[in-house]
Amino acid sequence: MPLPKPKPLFEPELSSFSDIALLLIIFFILTTTFIVPAGNKIEPPAASADPSNAEEKQLTIALTGQEILYGPRAERLSIEELRAALLEQNFRAKPPSRRIVIVNPTPDVPYELYFDVVMAIHRADGILALIEEDEKPRK
Amino acid sequence: MSVRRKKRMPAKVPTTSMADIAFLLIIFFMVTSNFVKEGHIELTQPRSPDIDAMKEAHISVTLDKNGDLWLQGKPCPVAVLEEGVKALLLEQSDKTVMLKIDKDTRQESYGPVFLALSRAGAELALIGEKEKE
Repeated sequence: MPLPKPKPLFEPELSSFSDIALLLIIFFILTTTFIVPAGNKIEPPAASADPSNAEEKQLTIALTGQEILYGPRAERLSIEELRAALLEQNFRAKPPSRRIVIVNPTPDVPYELYFDVVMAIHRADGILALIEEDEKPRK
Repeated sequence: MSVRRKKRMPAKVPTTSMADIAFLLIIFFMVTSNFVKEGHIELTQPRSPDIDAMKEAHISVTLDKNGDLWLQGKPCPVAVLEEGVKALLLEQSDKTVMLKIDKDTRQESYGPVFLALSRAGAELALIGEKEKE
């Protein structure tokens, strides 16, 4: 009995698959945007909420609603004026104890304003102090 | 005079290595990609010209537009934030905590978060969007 003839092997055309894969990779390489976090690191020391405890040498910035009240005279400044005023302090030439800036916001202050002020302090080489509001003692 | 023309060989481009390159690229991107873990949290970050690009930290705290607090992408009440961050900091040599807060959040919400993180001994990295000067 004669053996059956072997069927010719089916060979699909695979070269176009690699083309598609490469095209997809190139598309994603070109269109992908990476998320790089932007921000600034702060290491805030704590300050007392009682203003009588604050040293006179420390600069205080009060925030109420959308207003910035700068220094002991509570001068009303815009964020650009605050940036200029902080740069005038020349914190870089001062020791760390004289670079502390106390930011005292009221409960209605939006984070956007607080963030702007904190970043301006950081840019001017000031050190932000957090206000302790409750009675919980620090360990 | 009869000149014998050489038989032209059909051009064959070896394409098997193309697939290898494609797979190597896919594996490279699979290994090096870092996916966004907090895509489900709704927040609009504040903008400032005074910020710079920074290295991503391992610990992330987020206060979203609804006032909900998230630690490492999971809900976390502010009362247990200090303990939660302390526990995470014990496992890390880097004490940096990335703090993302919605721009419209009021101080009565973000104030306690700052204090809790400060008490936990974290170094705060305030995250925002770079605004062109």
